[in-house]
Amino acid sequence: MKALPSPELRPDLYFEEEQKLWREMLAGDVTAYEQLINRTYDLLFHYGTKFNNDRELIKDCIQDVFLGIWEKRNALNADIPPKAYLLASLRRRLHRLASRLRMDCMDYYTESDIVFDLEFNAEYRLIESENDRLIASRMTEMLNELPKRQKEAVFLRFYNDMEREEIAMVMDIQPQSVSNLLQEAFKFIKSHWKSIVSLFWAVRFWI
Amino acid sequence: MDRYRDFTLGEFVWDKPFRTWVLNPTREDDETWQNWLAAHPDKREIVERARQLVLSIRPANASLSHPEKRKAVERIVERLESRSAEHEESDYVPWYAGRNVRIAAMLVVLLGLGWAFWLRNQPRALNYDRLVASAGIEMRETVNNTPNPLMVRLEDGSRVTLDPGSKVGYPAHFREGQREVFLSGKAFFDIRKDPSKPFFVYANELVTKVLGTSFTVRSYDNEQNVSVAVKTGKVAVFSREDPDAVEMQSSRELTGVVIEPNQQVVFVRKTVKITKSIVPEPAVVAEGTAAPNLEFDEAPVSDVFSALQSAYGIEIIYDKNIMDECPLTARLTEMSLYEQLDLVCKAVGASYKSIDGRIVVEGKGCRNM
Repeated sequence: MKALPSPELRPDLYFEEEQKLWREMLAGDVTAYEQLINRTYDLLFHYGTKFNNDRELIKDCIQDVFLGIWEKRNALNADIPPKAYLLASLRRRLHRLASRLRMDCMDYYTESDIVFDLEFNAEYRLIESENDRLIASRMTEMLNELPKRQKEAVFLRFYNDMEREEIAMVMDIQPQSVSNLLQEAFKFIKSHWKSIVSLFWAVRFWI
Repeated sequence: MDRYRDFTLGEFVWDKPFRTWVLNPTREDDETWQNWLAAHPDKREIVERARQLVLSIRPANASLSHPEKRKAVERIVERLESRSAEHEESDYVPWYAGRNVRIAAMLVVLLGLGWAFWLRNQPRALNYDRLVASAGIEMRETVNNTPNPLMVRLEDGSRVTLDPGSKVGYPAHFREGQREVFLSGKAFFDIRKDPSKPFFVYANELVTKVLGTSFTVRSYDNEQNVSVAVKTGKVAVFSREDPDAVEMQSSRELTGVVIEPNQQVVFVRKTVKITKSIVPEPAVVAEGTAAPNLEFDEAPVSDVFSALQSAYGIEIIYDKNIMDECPLTARLTEMSLYEQLDLVCKAVGASYKSIDGRIVVEGKGCRNM
């Protein structure tokens, strides 16, 4: 029997810390502002690349988002979850920009204009058994087959640890719609999971 | 954690708390899971497989190098500074007419009001003076102003040894059916057994309930933590803020967090959280007169663990099937518990952790050694 390695521990105060930085930033603290940028930049950048693959454009948008919140800091709510708020602002900004580039003179947009494009990958070297590698590859395929909006909800929920309300804020939809998206995604995952695992049994049987 | 017993691989992979433990664990999560695994060794394999799957399947991310990120972050901050410099130059207004000043003045008023409101509603931390004042009977008080420990004998024959600078308040005569004392600072209690009259120590927010035993309470008004460590017998500890406090106090049994010899609880006042652990230097629990036999000759390691367990009265969790294969020859006398555990574990290629007031040993066994 093998002792399970303990994963690298996250300090217990992690989430409160983010909120704390947000509050200090709203109070005009530039150091907190910089720390908040540092802390969320990767997430914002990676999220941005799911909509658009122009790196420089995404960086510009992130910059505008941050300069924007600094300017509006007197009007912003101290209890907003910062990550969700930042992602939502970036998403809006990317979209506005996209529609402007498309020379779209009408200044409103529909949801369908935003295309979230995410690929899941499996890192096989982290898996010991050959059978589990097979499972991982099938799971990845299945995740990539998810409809885009379900994929986005799954990404925010399971890979960024967000609550329903935060996801609703980021995707600019009702919390109930988030639940629906996640439920559909789950139905899909569950129905495919059976075939993945049975495939696994079959393979084991043949070899 | 019970619901995980029948979890399939897929259920683990998509379980939110499980994923959080794998991807972003806190110390608390990790303890909970390692503890659960120690109690359910048959689940290790499936958990490890699920863990690998969770770790390996990730969204593909464009690379963002460290210097690239740093440059981008710096650019934002620089922009910010140049912008605010422009602002200052361009629109000069007398300081008292500025919008910010008006907002600030309003904030000062609001803050003042808020502060006053906060003061009124602040759940005030319980300290010794307030506790004694609320006792409602005639109290005596002993303060130890000497540089040495001071022993106080109570009416019922129990003894309280006060550390320098500490004080204890107790009624001239105990009430019917219960014995109550109040503590500020640190003291060792040796309580005369009387199950019909449970003994209570009130120390800041923490209540310690005993029937007859000896233990130490450390509770300074100006410290963040309150702790209780047991030497003999059993002690129950609970917070005064606990909704069930009244019931726990009146019950005939010891409920709440029960601690046994060589265990201690620490109550973090700010978060109202009680955690149980092992005292820093566990002592051998004297049961009967004979010192425990801690010399082993080709004995299975499980025998060694069970001898240590009964010597210190601390539960040691290990997989008996695996540890039975390991023979050990050792003299473990005149060592502390942790030295003994270090030595034994090293000999059989195992490791141990102290979790929730117990010791959990993990190892592969010795079949291949």
